[in-house]
Amino acid sequence: MRFKSLRARIAFVVVLMMLGAQAAAYVVISSVIERNAVSNAQEQLAVAERVFRQVLSTNAEKLTQAATVVAADFGFREAVATHHESTVVSALRNHGSRIDADLVILAGLDGKLIADSRGYTHGSQAFPFRALMQTATHGSERSAIDVIDGRLYQLVAVPVKAPLPVAWVAMGFLIDDRMAREMASLTSLDVSFFDQQPDGRWSTLASTLSAQRTAHINPSDVADDRYATRVISLTSTGKPVVVVLQRSLTAAMAPFHRLQSTLLVITLIGVLLSIAGSIVTARSVTRPIAALKHFARRVGSGDYAEPIAVSHQDEIGELAQAFNRMQEGISHREHRITELAYTDRLTGLPNRAMFSDRLQQAIAEALPNETPFGVMVMDLDRFKYVNDALGHPIGDLLLREVALRLRDALAVHSGLVARLGGDEFAVLLPDSDLADVERVAIQILKALEQPISIEGQPVDVGASIGIVTFPDNGVDMNVLLRRADIAMYVAKRSNAGVARYEERYDNSSAERLSLMSELRRAVEQDQLLLFYQPKVDLSTQTVKYVEALVRWDHPTRGYVSPDQFIPFAEQTGYIKTISYWVADKAIRQCAMWRDVGIELAISINVSARELIQSSLPDTFAGLLRKYNVPAELLWIEITESAIMDDPNHAIETLDRLHALGIRLSVDDFGTGYSSLSYLKRMPVDELKIDKSFVMGMTENRDDETIVRSTIDLAHNMGLKVVAEGVESEAVLQRLTDLECDLAQGFHLSRPLPPDRLEAWLNSWHEARCVTGLR
Amino acid sequence: MGTRRYGEIDMRTMRSVGLTCLVSALCLHAAGARAEQLRASVVDQTGAPVVDAVVYAMPIDMKVKAPVSKRPKAIIDQIKRRFVPLVSVAQTGTAVAFPNRDNIEHDVYSFSPAKRFELHLYHGVPAKPVMFDKPGLVVMGCNIHDQMIAYLLVVDTPWFAKTDARGQASIDNVPGGAYRLAVWHYRMAAPEQRPSRNVSASASADEPAAFTLQLKSE
Repeated sequence: MRFKSLRARIAFVVVLMMLGAQAAAYVVISSVIERNAVSNAQEQLAVAERVFRQVLSTNAEKLTQAATVVAADFGFREAVATHHESTVVSALRNHGSRIDADLVILAGLDGKLIADSRGYTHGSQAFPFRALMQTATHGSERSAIDVIDGRLYQLVAVPVKAPLPVAWVAMGFLIDDRMAREMASLTSLDVSFFDQQPDGRWSTLASTLSAQRTAHINPSDVADDRYATRVISLTSTGKPVVVVLQRSLTAAMAPFHRLQSTLLVITLIGVLLSIAGSIVTARSVTRPIAALKHFARRVGSGDYAEPIAVSHQDEIGELAQAFNRMQEGISHREHRITELAYTDRLTGLPNRAMFSDRLQQAIAEALPNETPFGVMVMDLDRFKYVNDALGHPIGDLLLREVALRLRDALAVHSGLVARLGGDEFAVLLPDSDLADVERVAIQILKALEQPISIEGQPVDVGASIGIVTFPDNGVDMNVLLRRADIAMYVAKRSNAGVARYEERYDNSSAERLSLMSELRRAVEQDQLLLFYQPKVDLSTQTVKYVEALVRWDHPTRGYVSPDQFIPFAEQTGYIKTISYWVADKAIRQCAMWRDVGIELAISINVSARELIQSSLPDTFAGLLRKYNVPAELLWIEITESAIMDDPNHAIETLDRLHALGIRLSVDDFGTGYSSLSYLKRMPVDELKIDKSFVMGMTENRDDETIVRSTIDLAHNMGLKVVAEGVESEAVLQRLTDLECDLAQGFHLSRPLPPDRLEAWLNSWHEARCVTGLR
Repeated sequence: MGTRRYGEIDMRTMRSVGLTCLVSALCLHAAGARAEQLRASVVDQTGAPVVDAVVYAMPIDMKVKAPVSKRPKAIIDQIKRRFVPLVSVAQTGTAVAFPNRDNIEHDVYSFSPAKRFELHLYHGVPAKPVMFDKPGLVVMGCNIHDQMIAYLLVVDTPWFAKTDARGQASIDNVPGGAYRLAVWHYRMAAPEQRPSRNVSASASADEPAAFTLQLKSE
């Protein structure tokens, strides 16, 4: 049998055993009772027989005594002797009544009835007990049971002596139903008297039983399941007479049956108690198990709030303790795992996962009341350069230092600082409005402005922070983080340090995204144009170089600045296609100009990504061959940062380009962390001073110093110098004074389409000629 | 012993009733000049001699006259709660005395038709003897001692005798003549049918008359 619960199984076993024990006890006790009842009944019968015989013997004695008395009475004898009949009858009655005898008879020695107390007259009627008379004469037995006129009597016969026997006095008790009842009351049995007819059948003479019952009794065969029976043969001078003593087994068993019923009730109560007891016991076992089960479920669902109470000192108590230890272990390990999962190993700050969780949580808490809170995303400026220039270990130390400072700066606020990855950090500021967040942002920036020294090396690091506030800038975590990101980029681009999100940023970023897809179409549909900006030789006032700049003439947006799509092209890798397109167009233009007698060297910009492509030199060589353009006419401009991303690869590529005869120019010089040692190793022909220094050089002495130093540096290394961003005559003049080789800028010319450039060249030459002429 | 004593008493009784009047039953002479003797021998059905059987002779010949004598007397003692003798025989008209030899009282009675009487409790010799004036058997008892019993056979003849231990009885002084000789015993199975036979009292007859009785066991 299968049980779903331990409790049911325990209860079943206990109850089964109890039932077995009870049933066995019941069966044994019942059989003992049954045997006892039967033997009791038999015992009762034996006693009853003795009692019955005693009663008979007592009666016989009584009768004998009375009969002897009457027989010995002188007067009676005289009356008998004188045949005074009425006297005799009255004397018989008198003596009979003394013992309540039912029958007193006087008979002659010849057996003739002389007198009868019942009033029969004497005459020819024979004395009914001749046999008794004979046995009495011989003195053997004076008492007998006999039937007279269909009624049963116990009789005694005593001779009347005068002094020889002259007559017999017989006295008897009637054995009738009353006598049977008396016997029954003495023995508690049913008493019946039967005599056997000549044909062998038995007829009832007296009984305590109903006629219906006695009819079923056959003294010759008394076997009956319902009665214990004893048949006693009585001394009879005539037909056989028996008395049947019966004990109803049903009645005999009645008290035992009551006992059995009681026993049964006790057994049932015992079983019920055992069921209850076993259920209680089983429950005492299974209840703690159920508690352990709930506890295990709780632990399983991650609730380690409280240990299970150990109230037992037994195995279950030990199990509960083991559970508690297990819970502690799980809780501890989970804590550790959570720590690992939610912590940034490098800085010890929470990581992006934890920040997301906490932000999600903050949103959930703030949502009902729209309590404002702020989120900042911070990105270090120029971290990449630090990493590249000083190595990753230094970069890591820097990140740790930044983390420390962020933590310190936020110590007084209840904000959460996390490192999202790389040099990107995020701050969550609960219960803060925009003004609070901006204040904290400025504090952070100030903290980072403090000089940082890593292993004795001063490292300058800035940061750009984008701010969003809940719920103004969104109620969704991803939206908030994306918008903070956007704001951060805005801050970075504008060099503002901090920018809070504005809706239009989102639009422009969306614009950019769509631009990216449109850019592909632009290349395919020739929407891109190449403009050319001249570089003027300051010593000769001639123009021998132009820089090719890509322009996008969007059919609906109109002119799109390269700043808006080149960085994204670089990010997506589409820049490769654009670069090829640019190189092809530029070299072809160069060939076209040469055909019309215009000798111009063309510079094209190459991104960092392309620089490390080993196929780049082959591509350029192929294009040069294709348009039959000498390699000297092709200049390649690369930014400092492009070189510094992977200097070794970059230098290798540059060497190969140089070997082809292609000239190299370092763009935006001064903004990066160019290592002069690399610069020395590179086959560079030209430095281009970043316009940020050039534009303000006439007002700012530092800028001028940088420009001058750069010019000197380049000249000392045998390199030409180009100044970008020349927007005024004063700057031009100053650059000329500083012996800068070439100048480029709006003051001289904007980037122009080829035909307009040709026009500009013509006018420039004419002006020079005029001046020259002058 | 007891038998012998009964014999003695018997003999004395005989004398007391005047046996001198009686002559030999076997030798009778006319007018009683000569007395004869009648003898009898009684055995029971087993051939054993019967003691205390009464033998009496009734004259068949009317010429035989019983001698006229004065009133005969007899005695039946009570000794140690017994009647002594157990069996007596007497001629009609005999007065029997019942002397009480015990130191306790006796109450002698008889319900027999031949003589009904009662001697109320008494010591010693009652003042008057009891007259038995009718022939027949008288059975006597003591009202307070059931085991005491005595038989007295009253006969209408002066010629009677009781058998001795050898079953022999002889009636002396019987006048010669023809007699009917009858026997009775108290244990006889049929007391009313007393065996009898005719005998003649003469000197020549020397063989006793033999009787065999059917007796009940005691």
